[in-house]
Amino acid sequence: MAIGVKVIERPIAETSYVRAALQGMGRTLKHLFEQKVTTQYPEQKESLSRRWRGTHRMLTTEDGKAKCVACGLCPTICPANCIKLVPGEDERGNRYPLAFEIDEFRCIFCGYCQEVCPEEAIHLGRHYENSEYSREGFVYDLERLTAQTHPVCEMWDPADPKGE
Amino acid sequence: MSDSGMVNLTIEGRAVSVEPGTSVLEAAKTVGVLIPHYCYHPGLPVAGSCRMCLVDVEKAPKLAPACATAVAEGQVIRVHTEKARTARKGVLEMLLINHPLDCPICDRSGECELQDFTYQEGPAESRYRDPKRFNPVEDFGGDVVYVPNRCILCTRCVRFMDDVAHDPVLNVEERGDRAHIGKFEGKDLTHPWAANVIDLCPVGALVSKDFLNKARVWELDRAASVCTGCSQGCNLVVETRDNVVMRLKPRPNPEVNEFFICDHGRLNYRWMNRRDRLESPAIRGAGGYEAVDWDVATAGAARILKGKRVFVLASPNLSNEALWLLSRLIRKSGGAGAFRMPNGSEAPLPGVVDLALRADRAANGAGAELLGMTRSESPLGGLQAGDALLIVDHDLAPEDVAFAGRASAVVVAGTAMPAGLERADVLLPMCNVVEEDGTFTNLRGRVQRFLQAKAPSGLARPSWYVLSGLCTALGDSAEYFSASAVFDALATEHTEFAGMSYGVLGLRGRRIASQADAEVRA
Repeated sequence: MAIGVKVIERPIAETSYVRAALQGMGRTLKHLFEQKVTTQYPEQKESLSRRWRGTHRMLTTEDGKAKCVACGLCPTICPANCIKLVPGEDERGNRYPLAFEIDEFRCIFCGYCQEVCPEEAIHLGRHYENSEYSREGFVYDLERLTAQTHPVCEMWDPADPKGE
Repeated sequence: MSDSGMVNLTIEGRAVSVEPGTSVLEAAKTVGVLIPHYCYHPGLPVAGSCRMCLVDVEKAPKLAPACATAVAEGQVIRVHTEKARTARKGVLEMLLINHPLDCPICDRSGECELQDFTYQEGPAESRYRDPKRFNPVEDFGGDVVYVPNRCILCTRCVRFMDDVAHDPVLNVEERGDRAHIGKFEGKDLTHPWAANVIDLCPVGALVSKDFLNKARVWELDRAASVCTGCSQGCNLVVETRDNVVMRLKPRPNPEVNEFFICDHGRLNYRWMNRRDRLESPAIRGAGGYEAVDWDVATAGAARILKGKRVFVLASPNLSNEALWLLSRLIRKSGGAGAFRMPNGSEAPLPGVVDLALRADRAANGAGAELLGMTRSESPLGGLQAGDALLIVDHDLAPEDVAFAGRASAVVVAGTAMPAGLERADVLLPMCNVVEEDGTFTNLRGRVQRFLQAKAPSGLARPSWYVLSGLCTALGDSAEYFSASAVFDALATEHTEFAGMSYGVLGLRGRRIASQADAEVRA
């Protein structure tokens, strides 16, 4: 050793790698039998909160028509101005929406539309997987909103609406 | 009473001085205090039945109804004392017992007095737990539908039909909680002024069939206007949504129409939304009409009209501004102008002095005659062979077509292609009455302003702008850059309009000089 590096003699128990390697393999083995934390999306999905606010859904009456009475409260309250509504009158003289469109790109998912709806027609959905080939595809019309089947957002507990 | 003959009193701490005999409610309005009320309406006899306008009068033992209490010297009125508020809250709670919670589908929602006053001072919750009264919707005929569930029985509609329209077909049927507005068996609300009950109704009980479910009132944009349905010149509010006229409502003017408009005027708005408009200036070439720039079209029209005697067929629905520019054009070329007055039957509203749906069914016939146009059953009779014909927003009747053949050239300025016209050499698109500013002169000589309510269709320009451009191109310098500037120039030239300007006219108008003098003499 020309530059005179000092070599310290250590006991074999300290310098052997066997013990550390066994320790590491032991950790690996232990995790093999422990409960897994990774969710295997998309095969597995996390359960969402009951108050999750995702893309909209329009509820229907028994005869399949939208519950909406075209009162105009949701376009009025919408802070993102993403709801378009044209009211009309059906053959029985009831109000109904001739056109009802929600631009899901402009929507900020605040949930005001669901909160203000007097007929409990428009709801936010517990749903987050959306993909389309065009921007226009995210303008949901009435037909598409009523065709959605995902569960809806529960903004409040129905048994305890005031949160007491 | 003070020396000036006025009564002095205090309302909500504000000093008020009004004529003797004024109601407390009206006196409060003059200082900006709105006392809630339902049965009271300034255009109807006082009923005092709703008990909503109860106010506290100092030193009086009980609350007094403001609509039926005349002012007295030194009175001290308080509207918002605990006692008065409790009383009005009780009235509202009673009214709401049977009032359905259908504001989301009610046409009146947003302009409903029950909504407003409940929000302002009503009870937050109802103590009534039993089912609400239910009565089916009834068609009252005319433009009116009655929704009895929403009715608060203020009887404004009954009093209007009895005391203003003098056609008593409505009454209050049954008593107690079964009471509702009833219609005389076999009679309908077919009186020509009957649809005013819709505006009078403070809630959504009487609604318009025409406007039913068409729009929410808070989406509407409003502009002051004047009715073009007849020569009465009733004041209007034009309500539009997305550049489409949705309905017309009366605008109070005590000098002309008080608070009312007739059904003819109310429903006379569909033509304002017509889609087959002239949208671009055009010149007729070999291959039909060719769209050109405004400058080219105006110069083309001037070339055709120049040096010829110009005969003008002008609509009696044109503004004074447009008619005055036309009269300058006629004077310059030594021509003449005429119009045909559309006619109908006269339908007065007996309860209001000098108010009727007039037989002359155009807004500005008086103005047109004042500005040199001739009223004629055969307006093209004066057209001489070789004249240039300028048609300004006037349709041709079948008998006019033969006369029009005499013209050497035809220039059309207007909102749409005139019905009955085969061909024109130049087309100049103009705004219609709700797309421009201007003034009309009604049959009593009242000059009234109307304001723009919607955007013009296509490249159309306001009528005064089109015609001032044409005058200038014909060598009669008339460059104006606003309707008010045209009106100012008109006022300096015509003694009848002397002293008038848009500022002086305001939104209630003013009588022309000769008519106002005649009134003073009478």
